[in-house]
Formats: sequence, C-alpha cells, structure tokens
Amino acid sequence: MKRIASKIFIAGFVVCFTSAPVVFAKGDDFNSVVKMIEQFYNVKHVGIPFLAKAGMKVATTAARIKGGTARRLAEAGSMKLAVFENQEFNGDFSKFRSSLNQALNVTWMPLIQTLSATDGEQTYIFLKNAGDKTDVLVITIDARDATVVQVTLSAKNLALLLKDPEGTGKAITEEATLIDQE
Amino acid sequence: MKRSFNTHLIALLLVITSAFVAKAQDTRIQMSSLDHLAAKASQTVDVNVDERLMKLAARLFSDKDEDEREIKKLIEGLKGVYVKSFEFENEGQFVAADLEPIRAQLRGAGWTRMVNVISKKEGNVEVYLQFAGEAINGLAVVHTDDKELTVVNIVGPVNLDKLAQLEGQMGIPDLGIESPKPKKKTNEQ
Repeated sequence: MKRIASKIFIAGFVVCFTSAPVVFAKGDDFNSVVKMIEQFYNVKHVGIPFLAKAGMKVATTAARIKGGTARRLAEAGSMKLAVFENQEFNGDFSKFRSSLNQALNVTWMPLIQTLSATDGEQTYIFLKNAGDKTDVLVITIDARDATVVQVTLSAKNLALLLKDPEGTGKAITEEATLIDQE
Repeated sequence: MKRSFNTHLIALLLVITSAFVAKAQDTRIQMSSLDHLAAKASQTVDVNVDERLMKLAARLFSDKDEDEREIKKLIEGLKGVYVKSFEFENEGQFVAADLEPIRAQLRGAGWTRMVNVISKKEGNVEVYLQFAGEAINGLAVVHTDDKELTVVNIVGPVNLDKLAQLEGQMGIPDLGIESPKPKKKTNEQ
C-alpha cells in the first residue's frame, strides 16, 4: 500500500514538474526573442553594422512623444536593436503571441500587447526591473517588417510609458530606428 | 503519531495558503476566455499592469517630478489594471455567450453592478464594484457595442473618480463614464 502511495506521489511530482512549459528565454532574452521570430516566421534579421552602412544610426534621433517635447527615452548605451526588413511575416499570430508570452513570462512583465488582424500588425511591450531603472523590450511586427528593441528607461520615462504605453512604445522603436537627421 | 500530526499540520497550512491566494485573486477577473476573439478582431488590445509592476513603479517614482508624481498618485494602492479590448470590422462577431464567463465572475460574491453610472460612449456600459464592507476592492467595466467589446478590471481600492482619471492612461480606453457618485447600489443578479 505504501509503495503504491509513493508511486502515485512520484508520478504526480513528475507530471507537475516535467510537463511545465519549456522556458525559451532565460539568459539573453533579447537574442532569444530575435531567434524566436526567425524560427517562427522563417526570416533573418539585419545586424546593426549593416544598418549603419545604410545610413541609419542608433539612438541619435530624439523621439517626439505625443503632446510633449522631443526627448531621448533610452538611457545612454542601453539599446539593443534587431531589424527585419522586407520579409514575409505570415503565420498564426495567436500562436506566436502565446509562445512569446510563455518564453518571457518568468523574467519579464507584459505591459501591453496590440494585434491587428486586418493589417497584420503586432506590438508587444514587456518590462523588467533593473535596479533603479527598468528594462523595456518592444517587439513590433507587421506584414513585411519587424523590430525588436531593448532599452533601459529612467523612472521618468517609465512614467511616460505607463501613461501612454502605445505611444511611448512606438517612440522607443522610432528612437532606435529613425535615420539620423543631424 | 508525531508524523501524522506533521502531515495534518502541512495539510492545514496548504488549505490556509490556498484560501489566502483565492481571496487575493478575487477581484481579478479572468479574461482569457475572450482570447479566441482576437482571431476575428480587426484590432485587439491587451493591457496587463500587475502588482509587480505597480510595486516597481511605486518604488521608482519620486514626488519631485511632475510626470512621476501624477502617475504615482493614480496607481497608489492599486494592485493591477487589466484591459482586453476588441474592435471588429463587422457586426455579430461576438455573442452573449462569449461574455458569459466574465459575467459569471461578476455575479460572484462581493460584486455589485452600479446602476446610476452614465457613459457618453455609444453602446452598453456596465460598471461593477467589489465591496468588502464599505471599502471598494475592485472595479470592472464591460463595454459592448455592435463592433466593439472592452473589459476593464482594476484591482484594489478604486472609485469612479479614479477611473475617470485613469481613462486614456495606462492603456485604459476612454469609457466616457460620467457619474462620480456611486451612492446607490443594487445587488445584481
């Protein structure tokens, strides 16, 4: 009887702890997300050196926040960027969304997710505590292009993000990818 | 005998912990039953400002900066803000049964529908508050229109004044709610 009970206990333990979803992104979540997009949509991202050659510079253009003045959002040197250009992003976005949430669930907090079935656009904003600042991961995917940006925000810019998650999320992506006008 | 006592003690602790967890989650409306509508919707918005983020913000924001002070004041005491919003190209993309799991939770203990709330927004706006005695523990708004469905759930001490302040911020849509005095309440369902 005791042996049966312990077998049931072990079986229960195995079911509970081994059937848990596999966490995709553990260490470097930014790279994991980039890889996830590449694998899910069968696309390739363009590296920053290529972007620089094409005349784009990272984080040199001030983003204009809706209704506010131009300002820099990302803390200096904190930006990571991956761009996917002119490729097909065909796929079930609900499946992608669910995989992404599952992968980032442990270390990141989802803030806002917008999906547009008609335009094929997806935007995801995740946050992570980084001491006295906050890491923000913004993923935007549309029919032909995608961008993954990770930046560190000060408390002031986190306040802006919380007040207007969609607008500030777009501004973060713009700040990362706009062509330098200087 | 001692082993049996320990087993019972652990079981009792588990029961107590589960009860506390259940209590803490009471005002959080589970909205995942609506997720299937995203495939039909032309636009889906999903906002999750959970307790971890509220705590993080409360810790980081200072009273010296205007932006930080404003948002800190708004989220003070709140434990979560959750929004699911769907816009459809055509009418008839969602039915009453889609909302039934949400309504079933709002028929649960503590939830009361406010009948004197007026909204400028087109369609049907229902506002529910969850009371623990005199105190408000949470708020839920269900807005339905022919081509639109929005559910807002704010966990924590919140009133309609605060909701009005939060509209248009933190991903909460403009609900056009006008009545700041929820003095008369009726038990719904």
